[in-house]
Amino acid sequence: MDFRVDQETQDALEKLKIWGREFVRPVGLEADREGRPIPVGHAFFDRCLERGDGRTHWRPGGAEKSGPHSSALSRLLLAEEFAYWDRGVMVATPGPGLPELSVIAGGTEEQKERFLLPFVKPNRPRWACFAMTEPGAGSDAAAIQTKARKDGDGWILNGAKCFIGGASRSDWILVQATLDVSKGRAAQRAFFVEQGTAGLGPFKIEKKMGLKAYESSSFSLENVRVPASNLLGGEERYQQKAGFKTAMTTFNAGRPVIAANAVGIARAALDETIRMAREYELFDDTRVRDRIEAMARKIRMARLICLRAGQLADEQQPNIIEASMSKAMAAQVAQETTSQGLELIGTAGARGDHLIEKLYRDAKAMDIVEGTGQIQRMIISRSLVGLPR
Amino acid sequence: MNLKPDENLELIAETARRFGAEMLTPKMRSAEAQRGVDKETRQAFHEIGLAGLEWPEEKDGAGLGSLARVLVNEELGAADAGAALSLDSLGPALYPILEMGGDIAQLLPSNADDQRVLLVSELDGDLQVETQGVKGVIPWVPASRADAIVVFKGDRAGILRSGFTIEPIRGSGLRAAGAGELRIMNVETQELVVHPAGAARARARTRLYIASLLLGVMRAACDFSREYAKERQAFGKPIGHHQALAFLITDMQMALDGARLLVRHAAWRLDHDLPSESQAASALAECIDASRLIGPNSVQILGGHGFMSDYPVEKYMREGRALGLLFGGFDAAIEESSRHLCQSDAPLAIGLEGTV
Repeated sequence: MDFRVDQETQDALEKLKIWGREFVRPVGLEADREGRPIPVGHAFFDRCLERGDGRTHWRPGGAEKSGPHSSALSRLLLAEEFAYWDRGVMVATPGPGLPELSVIAGGTEEQKERFLLPFVKPNRPRWACFAMTEPGAGSDAAAIQTKARKDGDGWILNGAKCFIGGASRSDWILVQATLDVSKGRAAQRAFFVEQGTAGLGPFKIEKKMGLKAYESSSFSLENVRVPASNLLGGEERYQQKAGFKTAMTTFNAGRPVIAANAVGIARAALDETIRMAREYELFDDTRVRDRIEAMARKIRMARLICLRAGQLADEQQPNIIEASMSKAMAAQVAQETTSQGLELIGTAGARGDHLIEKLYRDAKAMDIVEGTGQIQRMIISRSLVGLPR
Repeated sequence: MNLKPDENLELIAETARRFGAEMLTPKMRSAEAQRGVDKETRQAFHEIGLAGLEWPEEKDGAGLGSLARVLVNEELGAADAGAALSLDSLGPALYPILEMGGDIAQLLPSNADDQRVLLVSELDGDLQVETQGVKGVIPWVPASRADAIVVFKGDRAGILRSGFTIEPIRGSGLRAAGAGELRIMNVETQELVVHPAGAARARARTRLYIASLLLGVMRAACDFSREYAKERQAFGKPIGHHQALAFLITDMQMALDGARLLVRHAAWRLDHDLPSESQAASALAECIDASRLIGPNSVQILGGHGFMSDYPVEKYMREGRALGLLFGGFDAAIEESSRHLCQSDAPLAIGLEGTV
């Protein structure tokens, strides 16, 4: 066993810490106060680009840029640290985002060039997003209704998507649609829909309880026509039932990251609780100390559970149970921890202007996005007791 | 970073697992009834080398650290936690002596394999440890007799070879180790050592010793109840396929996995001389927390059968709880951990001492 953090990751963490303290947390608090996503023209995004954020790790010819991001373990530690400063701002940060891995893993060479090349050295803040969730299909992703129908040398998409991160500001949206609603997962395909395509939109920017820094929007697709070359992976890829799997691959890599985010949120609540307890000289109170211990213990545990999933990913071992456990546990820990922090600060926590109060609202989403805690438990139960699908 | 134990330690754990499955589990009910482990089992335990796991190499031990201990204890605890305590002559009594500079050679009066040296602390009951005398009453110790007692209070520890009595009592769990009420008359101890840093490490190692036995008990409870839930039918399907139980079993497994990682993390830190008092104390607290979920629910999953002694889960429920009461249990653990945590502004920052 070895719990040391390698030097490259430590250096990256150190840089992220400064970035987080000076820019990420302030802009996150600002967005929360203003009750809107960080606007597209905000100077923060220019700073992101100057810092080297908002880029793809993909390189033409297939070689990936190496760095701490090439290890899942390091990615998780960085995801925890980023969320410690502000999880909403992490998601708001420009870049190819959630669909990047799907495109690298499943896209044709032509698609990688077309859709990822602009992210190699972006001349302005650029975003991309993945659109799966629909008003009637959240956790049950196999039940999506957005339809794709072949039309000559292209595809026609019809349907509605909701709660999609950064959709209105994205250069392109990877839209999950079905060829035949009755055929479930096997009939699902992903399509690149470029911003400005006729029939896409309008976008409704949702008002949220927390994580206000990034945009979540809902939109419809009305007879949206995309060329055949916009089908992720091309036609032949779908001869072997890969449709739904492409989406789920994204999610399996994503779950421990959400879990790490939850750990970061929880840790922010812990440190703020300790700061308040010190300021008001509450350490002599056993109840206060007990609360701090419980918070720290659960956070440590969630972090280790999360890293276990990451190590398996790095070893290219199956990590479905571990990934699901990490998210199920960490999301719960974040909710409990932020809530415990509020107990300590009392009515000051209900004023609506305290960091812990914001974290309490932010944390809730961690038990919902990329599969609710209940979905995670169903996945784990399938392995543990053979729960039928 | 690597969250998996090294291969050589896995091999030792595998040895313990086989020993437990072959020698302890089949006899667990008779060991409980007889309040002790039979001669044959004792000899086997010594022959395969598990007796001197943390005993220093220069004293013919294996000289291994906390990580080896927690891996082995999980295996022994899964087989029979009471027998594990009975077999390990010194148990955690080794730690104050090893960490605080006493003369360990004197600890075991002879090489007989049925020696018992007990560790008791002020966290276990009423205990006074002064230079002029040691006295106290500990309502329950998992032993019916002892060759010596290591008394441990705050930053001081000492060895008693006489001046105490152990009156056998019924006991609740861990009866295979015996059960007794310990009374220490006002006796002098020649070997009183004072060593704050060593005492802190000794407390951490003691807590991990208990925590890892508890992990084993929890694992056995989880495994048994889960397999039962896959077989037993109700309302036309295995009871484990009813979501209420499927999710409960999932939560039990998550609690176990999380507690195990905390224990190993703290043990690794101890072995690397990193600050680990808070980590070890919180790891024990988490094991106790998890055992409060797992023990009673493993019985619950078996329903009426679980309540009967024909199945092992009722034993796991009793033994998990008894283990969690040792060394001050949950409250003493969180007291120690929280005091450390409150000294820092960001106690869980990534990269402190270059680690997580």
